[in-house]
Amino acid sequence: MIFRHYQKKHLWPLAFLLPTIIGLLVFRLIPIFWSFALSFMDWQIFDTATFAGLDNYIYIFQSVTTLQILRVTFLFMLMYVPGAVLLALALAVILNSGLRGAAFFRGAFFLPYITSTVAVVLVWRWIFSTRFGLLNNALDYIGIEQNPAWLADPAYALPAVAIVSIWKDAGFYMLLLLAGLQTINNEYYEAARVDGATRWRRFIDITVPLLSRSLFFVLIIAMIRSTQTFEITYSLTEGGPNGATTTLAFAIYQRAFVDFDMGLAAALSYVLCVILGFLTLVQFWLRRRWVHE
Amino acid sequence: MKVSLTSISILALSASIATAETTISYMSWSPDQLELEMPVIAEFEAANPGVTVEVQAMPPSDYWPKLSALAAAGDLPDVFMMSSGFVDSWGLAGNLADLAPLAEGTDLGAYFEGSLTPGMVNGTMVAFPQNWVAPVLYYNKDMFDAAGLDYPDADMTWDEFRAAAKALTTEDVFGYWVYGRYAHVDTWVYRNGGRYLTDDKSGIELNAAAVNTLQFLSDLIAVDNVAPQPQEMEGIRQQDVFPLGMAAMWVDGSWNIDNVRNVADPSMNWGIAQVPMGPDATADTAAAYAWADMLSVSETSENKDLAWDFIQTLVGGERSAADFPGGKVPAYRAIAESDEWLERGSQPANKELILEIGAQTVYSGFSENWSTWRGYGAEGQAGLNGELDEVFNGRKSLDDAIAAFTAYGNEVLAR
Repeated sequence: MIFRHYQKKHLWPLAFLLPTIIGLLVFRLIPIFWSFALSFMDWQIFDTATFAGLDNYIYIFQSVTTLQILRVTFLFMLMYVPGAVLLALALAVILNSGLRGAAFFRGAFFLPYITSTVAVVLVWRWIFSTRFGLLNNALDYIGIEQNPAWLADPAYALPAVAIVSIWKDAGFYMLLLLAGLQTINNEYYEAARVDGATRWRRFIDITVPLLSRSLFFVLIIAMIRSTQTFEITYSLTEGGPNGATTTLAFAIYQRAFVDFDMGLAAALSYVLCVILGFLTLVQFWLRRRWVHE
Repeated sequence: MKVSLTSISILALSASIATAETTISYMSWSPDQLELEMPVIAEFEAANPGVTVEVQAMPPSDYWPKLSALAAAGDLPDVFMMSSGFVDSWGLAGNLADLAPLAEGTDLGAYFEGSLTPGMVNGTMVAFPQNWVAPVLYYNKDMFDAAGLDYPDADMTWDEFRAAAKALTTEDVFGYWVYGRYAHVDTWVYRNGGRYLTDDKSGIELNAAAVNTLQFLSDLIAVDNVAPQPQEMEGIRQQDVFPLGMAAMWVDGSWNIDNVRNVADPSMNWGIAQVPMGPDATADTAAAYAWADMLSVSETSENKDLAWDFIQTLVGGERSAADFPGGKVPAYRAIAESDEWLERGSQPANKELILEIGAQTVYSGFSENWSTWRGYGAEGQAGLNGELDEVFNGRKSLDDAIAAFTAYGNEVLAR
């Protein structure tokens, strides 16, 4: 009787949870722990793995490329996060203002997010082409004849990757912020309007505080996504020119799937993990100062 | 009852025969090439009753990760394609079977000697060539004729080359198109007796001839103005610049013969020549640059002899010249020297020039982790490529680029 009760209360739910638990174990937890162990090994995937202690981490901190990779990663984050979030916020506010055809524009702005990255990049490659590109031709048209080599000049390649990434992802963040905007009671705006508040004051004093939780969430995921960017870099610049767009995520790919140096790739992953963890903690600490609870 | 027992015996015998069948697994990085190989694979199966060949092919971007994963799982195919650039890493890791004992009785003289070299790791033959390629100097005959210049030949000096490039450069056309990848640069370096690596391949140390070569190529862009900066051509496939008539000369691999045929206007007359020998080269140091697409047998294969027989089917005299289009040279000499492969009626008219290159002393410059320090595949923007791009695009001095590349390359080789 007791067993039957136990079975009903615990075993059945467990049975239903089992597929998820197994999936979590096999595809998440075991790889997390295994990759951590791997970061202390010297393992070229087609060779035998040997224990290497801290060698991989020491190599990373001594490597001539590490500083450049970290610099690129943070620079990209600095371009992408504010760019994507501000653009998404602007689009969300405009679409929430009762614009005619809002549903159409909402779909149009979201479209890049669900479009195949390879297809998108093919078009952007043409836009950025030095000699035949749409962008440089447009610059020519307005009298700027010193055409940048968008994808071949280290000074422009990272901004080019950031532009494409922002363009592609802003629609997704816009939807999240739009959902947040629609939860704000319109009476606040009406009351402020009666009090004579300008459009800008209403945005600063009502929209931003009441949207701050959504903004916080969007900032966190934009920051994480900025460190995970890969497909666009891979197909637009292959990490070049001369490492100018090689972020930490791209370097992990190169070490793991080009050099097949799994130990080093795992160690780099944990460096990324620590950086992300630190930045997220900072965000959570800052949250108390600006997020309206 | 007696009949039933007989039937059971026959069934049991059939089952035992079925289990005695042997399967050879073969993995290729070229679905197109596999298509061409299917007839000889069928012939191999017919000649070896009970043997089945399991084939799979995928593009290189998928091939290497998959092959590596199979190696990690101890489940490599019996036979698989091996790149000259990766053979050191794979051979030193012990994944590739020693082919010398298997090749006893095989007439190695039937193959181009230079094509066998890249398959040797520490004196052991771990990969066998199927076909090979070599960079050549492509030139536009119409433009040479219009400028009243002689066509390039093996005796052309670098000064004569520079003078020709200057004479060929007009407002619309560049005399030369330099692109900083291995096929475009390293052949100049080796033809000048240059080396990037130390003799034991354990470190990067450019000799004076290599530095002079890179300076020469850089000067063609920055000083002589006969070649565009690579960044100016961003947006055009590098292999299309010459066939589109935007440059009068260009160095790239012989495999691009097909591309030139396809992209160039049919009325365009063009040819190929050897890359001119450099002023620093001596008889001891000058080398041709060529490398092979190879086949290896897995060290863990249980059917090594059969795997070797299979390799011989793929590389030997049973293949047709049509299986090696354009500038892909069959490693088997008799096919390469046949009129069918030389394609007398097509451009270029002198395909035997590629065979002459293969007959010279070949230096491939490959080492462990070559793709990382040289810049190849998904690391094509890194290593020496990345630094040379900076030099050719006028943003970095050659000395600084060499210093940066040497530090990076030595770090990679020390891993």
